[in-house]
Amino acid sequence: MIEPTTPKPWQRLNPRLLLWRLGWDRVARHGIAFGGISIILAIVLIFFYLAYVVAPLFKPARTEAVATYVLPQHAEARSVFLAMEEQDEIGLRVSSDGLLLFFKLADGSVVKQSQLHIPHGTSITAFNSGEPAHGLMVFGLSNGNALVVRHHYDVSYPDNKRLISPEVDYPLGEKPVRVDDKHKPLHQVAVQENGDALVLAASTDDHRLLLVSFEKQTSFLSEEVTFARQATSLEHPVGNINQLLLDKDVRELYTVNEGGELSYFDVSDRSNPVLVQHIEVAKGRNITAARFLAGGISLLLATERGRIMQWFPVRDESGKERLTFIREFEPHRSAITQLAPEYNRKGFLAVDADGQLGIYHSTAHVTVLKKRITDKAIDQLAISPRANALLAEDASGRMFFWRIENEHPEVSWSSLWGKVWYESYQQPEYLWQSSSASNDFEPKFSLTPISFGTLKAAFYAMLLAVPLSIMGAMFTAQFMAPRMRRVVKPSIEIMEALPTVILGFLAGLWLAPFVETNLLGIFSLLLIIPPAVILAAYAWQRAPANIRHSVPDGWEAALLIPVVILASVVALELSPWLEVQFFGGSLRTWLSQNLGVDYDQRNALVVGIAMGFAVIPTIFSIAEDALFAVPKHLVQGSLALGATPWQTLVRVVILTASPGIFSAVMIGLGRAVGETMIVLMATGNTPVMDFSIFQGMRTLSANVAVEMPESELGSTHYRVLFLAALVLFVFTFVFNTVAEIVRQRLRRKYSSL
Amino acid sequence: MFENIKSSLPRKVPNMYIPPEPSQRKSSPVMNTPELNGQPVVESVAKISVRNLSFFYGRHQALHDITLDIPEKRVTAFIGPSGCGKSTLLRCYNRVYEMYPGHSATGEILIDGTNILARSMDLNRLRAKVGMVFQKPTPFPMSIYDNIAFGVRMHERLSRVEMNDRVEWALRKAALWDEVKDKLKDSGTALSGGQQQRLCIARGIAVKPEVLLLDEPASALDPISTLKIEELINELKSDYTIVIVTHNMQQAARISDYTAFLYLGKLIEYDDTNVIFTTPRHKETEDYITGRYG
Repeated sequence: MIEPTTPKPWQRLNPRLLLWRLGWDRVARHGIAFGGISIILAIVLIFFYLAYVVAPLFKPARTEAVATYVLPQHAEARSVFLAMEEQDEIGLRVSSDGLLLFFKLADGSVVKQSQLHIPHGTSITAFNSGEPAHGLMVFGLSNGNALVVRHHYDVSYPDNKRLISPEVDYPLGEKPVRVDDKHKPLHQVAVQENGDALVLAASTDDHRLLLVSFEKQTSFLSEEVTFARQATSLEHPVGNINQLLLDKDVRELYTVNEGGELSYFDVSDRSNPVLVQHIEVAKGRNITAARFLAGGISLLLATERGRIMQWFPVRDESGKERLTFIREFEPHRSAITQLAPEYNRKGFLAVDADGQLGIYHSTAHVTVLKKRITDKAIDQLAISPRANALLAEDASGRMFFWRIENEHPEVSWSSLWGKVWYESYQQPEYLWQSSSASNDFEPKFSLTPISFGTLKAAFYAMLLAVPLSIMGAMFTAQFMAPRMRRVVKPSIEIMEALPTVILGFLAGLWLAPFVETNLLGIFSLLLIIPPAVILAAYAWQRAPANIRHSVPDGWEAALLIPVVILASVVALELSPWLEVQFFGGSLRTWLSQNLGVDYDQRNALVVGIAMGFAVIPTIFSIAEDALFAVPKHLVQGSLALGATPWQTLVRVVILTASPGIFSAVMIGLGRAVGETMIVLMATGNTPVMDFSIFQGMRTLSANVAVEMPESELGSTHYRVLFLAALVLFVFTFVFNTVAEIVRQRLRRKYSSL
Repeated sequence: MFENIKSSLPRKVPNMYIPPEPSQRKSSPVMNTPELNGQPVVESVAKISVRNLSFFYGRHQALHDITLDIPEKRVTAFIGPSGCGKSTLLRCYNRVYEMYPGHSATGEILIDGTNILARSMDLNRLRAKVGMVFQKPTPFPMSIYDNIAFGVRMHERLSRVEMNDRVEWALRKAALWDEVKDKLKDSGTALSGGQQQRLCIARGIAVKPEVLLLDEPASALDPISTLKIEELINELKSDYTIVIVTHNMQQAARISDYTAFLYLGKLIEYDDTNVIFTTPRHKETEDYITGRYG
């Protein structure tokens, strides 16, 4: 017994040492806590940063009234056109009497007026504007002539201050040009500029439809500019034309007729225009507004009942272009009076007879915003070139200058995930095509094909990796000799350290061509190796005892190495001969001719092999640990009940190790989904939605890697790429979370002792 | 080596052994029993006959030329210090040692006259006949019902009703039925240690073996659970030939009819439990049962 006075062992310790120990204990505890919390914090921060960049995509548009004013106008005249300059400083109003009024948008103060010189005795009978970005306008006159006018803006910096001065010029001269040889008053006109040619379309009072082009010709000697005039008359099926629409490349001419009908002319050959289609588009309702969407392919048609439709020509089965109804936007309650397409995007504004404004986007098929501007009908509407302001004039002559904040109208649930009927496509499709050289390009931001590609690549990788690694883990953990296991396990785990960029370029530059030339060989491997292994095992069983005993227990598997190599060589050597015998020399050609299966060199098979190779160590290592950790007494218990080793493995060992095996597979899947370099180099990066093993794909990760460097900071493209990253993050997060939940459940259920 | 041990030991150890009433013993016809030191050891029908058994862990010899008979429907206990080979001997009876490479046995073990060490022996049928329960309870990570049904399914195809009956029968036999009848679908691993061990015994019984090998079945259990297991063994011996390895000599004395003492891989003494614990013929035996070493 210890005397009460005797110090206890811990009391005998040096107090400084005690303090030191306590201190270290605390440091370690806080250090570990700090590390753990930092990791969680870092992940949360990454998530929030991604969300922060993505969030503006889903911010609703806003408008803000800046100024309202009335501009001077002659009593008889009315406004026929409004336009804005790029900096939103100067606006233009064109009146029916030929007065061009430039004014400050902010307060309506007049900057410049310019009155067109209309010859005596004639009046303006028709007006239209061309492609908004070109600033072209045409005035049709009562004598069958037309005057083409262009407004543009010169920017200078006197005193280091920006000065924008509006200019008016006359591309075909200040004198009106002859359109109708019969000098009848022009009823409707349209103008477009295409290269060196100015093309005018016009309908006359006596229902003739004319196409006149003025080819610019410069004399070498005097540099004098002359115009070669060429006029054609078009056969027109019906009488009254309400509007003419000439696309900016002067390929198509549409006439909007009385009663909601449309005629579609192919005018690409200007000397021989053809009527392609005459179609009823609005069920007898009059079309009150019709404009081209930016790019000149889609036609926006709005009716007196407030419907807004999008149509564009689609090639049908016989290869003929047919004007096709594509989609319809949220209708207004009264007649649409004006449509104003954005200059560079596929969005547009619409105003109606109730003073209501609607902002829409065609690709996204959304109503971005709806708002009342005034309680009177709105007669004229203009959108600024940067789509950040609008100018509207109502029936009482009041002008409304509003700012618009509408950064990312292209993004909607349907444009990200749904099938979208893009311009010039034959049917709605899932497409990712974020940019092109042309400004008129319709960006295709469907995340569906790249999400699909991600899952497809992961699927084929798992198809290879899961059976191989789990069966390998089973054998290694349960049957292999301990000494062999000590060699095999680290060797497989070291594969994990292989940089995936190496696997990637091996896959892309060596494996892909190899698979392409040895396609049959690769498939015959699958057929030849398993029987070869079974045959070898059988032969081993029948081998004389002294040979069998020469190999220590658990080492027999090593004997399979030469068998597998031999079988592979046989399969690959045999395949050219088989190809000649059964597939006419090339399996690839045979596939495409007989089964209609296209073959990409960089395809899911190559990715499956390469990424499977990358994922195998992960799955193998975790699954092997789980299987090896199954208590031996469970195995003994099962064997003692008369179960065979195989029954024990399947019914007891795998069951007990199932949480670990499951998490191994899910972690492998998480890795396959997030893997970048291999898919970047071996998939071909074509965002196709095709599950075929012979087709490539583009994955979320590769998509971000490929496009992020070329996307403009803060653009929709940039943010959609971040969204792709966020989706990828959510994918892996969901996989890992599900894996963890299932694993916990399995562990509770099959907890080993 | 034994000479080094002091010889001034009391021949009898009080408080240690309560010999069973001689009238409780069934007398069986004496059969061809092996003799140890010239004396017949077992006066019963031999269920298991071990002949010149040697066992090797790789190069290490763990058992040396063991010869003994295990009588039918009796409890035979193997005692001896750790590492003496008693568990190894037990494991030979159903060849469960074969799951490890390098382990091998020579000699003969006859069960009902069949040499089970023969290569042609069907291990699964052997193990159906010779059930085993381990020191540590080894319930499988499945329901109580499936734990019992697991072994049965390996050997028999039973209808649902038959299987239910079999499970109930085995659980009743293992005195576990009343405790688990309402939670047959619960995991076997959720039971207490003593219940788990009885579950393992029930699992062993369910395949209707003839021999039950118990490898220190109560050493991981508390005294009350141990008592239950011992009562169970006592009841089971009317139907099964039971071989038990135990470190606990009171336990061996309480429950066994015959006791074998092994030391360093050799069978030192094998006799009626009464004899072993009252008048051991060998000094090593006496030293061991009096707690000199082990």
